[in-house]
Amino acid sequence: MKKGFWIAYVLLLIAQLLLCNYFVFTPWMMATLLPAMVLCLPLNIGTAGGMVIACLTGLGVDFLAEGTIGLNALALVPVAFARKKIISIVFGQELITREKLFTIRRNGLTAVLMALFISLTIFLAIYIWADSAGTRSFGFNAGRFGASLAVSMIFCVLSVRVLTPSDSR
Amino acid sequence: MPRRSALPGIINFAVFILLEIASLYLLSHSSDLQKTWIAGAGNAFKGAIWGSSEKVRNFFSLRGTNEKLAQDNFILQKELISLREQLRLAGADTVKIGKLPGYTTLPAEVVKMSHAKQHNYIIVNKGYEDGVQEKSGIVTREGVVGIIDAVSAHFSYALSFQNADISISARLGSEGGSGLLVWDGKSSDGAILKEIPLQYKYSPGDTIYTSGHSLVFPPDIPLGTAGKAKVVNGSTNEIQVTLFQEFKAIRYVTIVHNNSFDEVEEFLR
Repeated sequence: MKKGFWIAYVLLLIAQLLLCNYFVFTPWMMATLLPAMVLCLPLNIGTAGGMVIACLTGLGVDFLAEGTIGLNALALVPVAFARKKIISIVFGQELITREKLFTIRRNGLTAVLMALFISLTIFLAIYIWADSAGTRSFGFNAGRFGASLAVSMIFCVLSVRVLTPSDSR
Repeated sequence: MPRRSALPGIINFAVFILLEIASLYLLSHSSDLQKTWIAGAGNAFKGAIWGSSEKVRNFFSLRGTNEKLAQDNFILQKELISLREQLRLAGADTVKIGKLPGYTTLPAEVVKMSHAKQHNYIIVNKGYEDGVQEKSGIVTREGVVGIIDAVSAHFSYALSFQNADISISARLGSEGGSGLLVWDGKSSDGAILKEIPLQYKYSPGDTIYTSGHSLVFPPDIPLGTAGKAKVVNGSTNEIQVTLFQEFKAIRYVTIVHNNSFDEVEEFLR
């Protein structure tokens, strides 16, 4: 199962690279799977380990797809830092104690959407803020945030289904 | 239930900060736009930190600054009294004015002061070893504070102006009538100017000065502004005065002593 997870993780990373290169239609919107990938990291990996993986994942996307090195890493590390807190708030402490990954079937779509919403909010807020570097208006950033949140939510739900095998079988 | 150690949380936070700094470093070296933005944010942060530390340092150096200001204030007040004296000598009859007494001044700090009584007092940190004598006045730039009643080696006890036993000779406006100014016994900045003859006209807002008739205080020290008046016994006005001096804020004062006080007292006896 663990081996399957990492294969799926790498495949999603490639999917993210494709999204970054080919799913760019307007500056008002971006699509990302990264927060879902970090949220679905096995719970036996600690917060520090999760942050290192998130940083490497973000840097990988930065190097291979986008021009600004460090941008995805900067936004993804806080998601990893808050990962266990988000899971414990949305799904309960039991999941953390038993180190059991959440699934849509077991925990419900609403809870998963809520966890994804929080993760995406953290990621997109930092990403858009750092990407604009003070040169874009608040209105533009807010619009970009809203559009990106809506689109990325769909991709993230699909990513959760891929990364949680009990749901895909 | 076993208590959880804080160490993992600290390690996690340290790793978080480290990774974020590394990401910011890479970001700043990847794009000029982000480099400028991060440099600007860094400068703002540094400015806030150094600005705060400067405020803290300024706060702790306030005492020194206050003492320096009090010293400067004393020097200026001394010059003011001297210049007023010279003005008076230059503009009036030298035979009469030449005998007007000069004043010795000395800076002091209030070490204790009462406010809530009917007979308030002040203790200042200068005594007879510093040259302080009884019946000297205590003034500030904003008015009269009290009269020294008893002197020890290093401290002096004074009756505050906020004392029912104290009255000082005051003048209404620059050339108006003189009367007795006493504390109203109620407010910290209220006084009453008594015994102003009815023929002296005045307007609310006129300044009240020391008259110079008392031998204790030099003339022309501004004391406050005139307010409402009422006629007493059909012969004099009694005017409410708002003092310039805020008694609760007094810390540094100037002791003034009339050099001819003893001679005039001897003559009066």
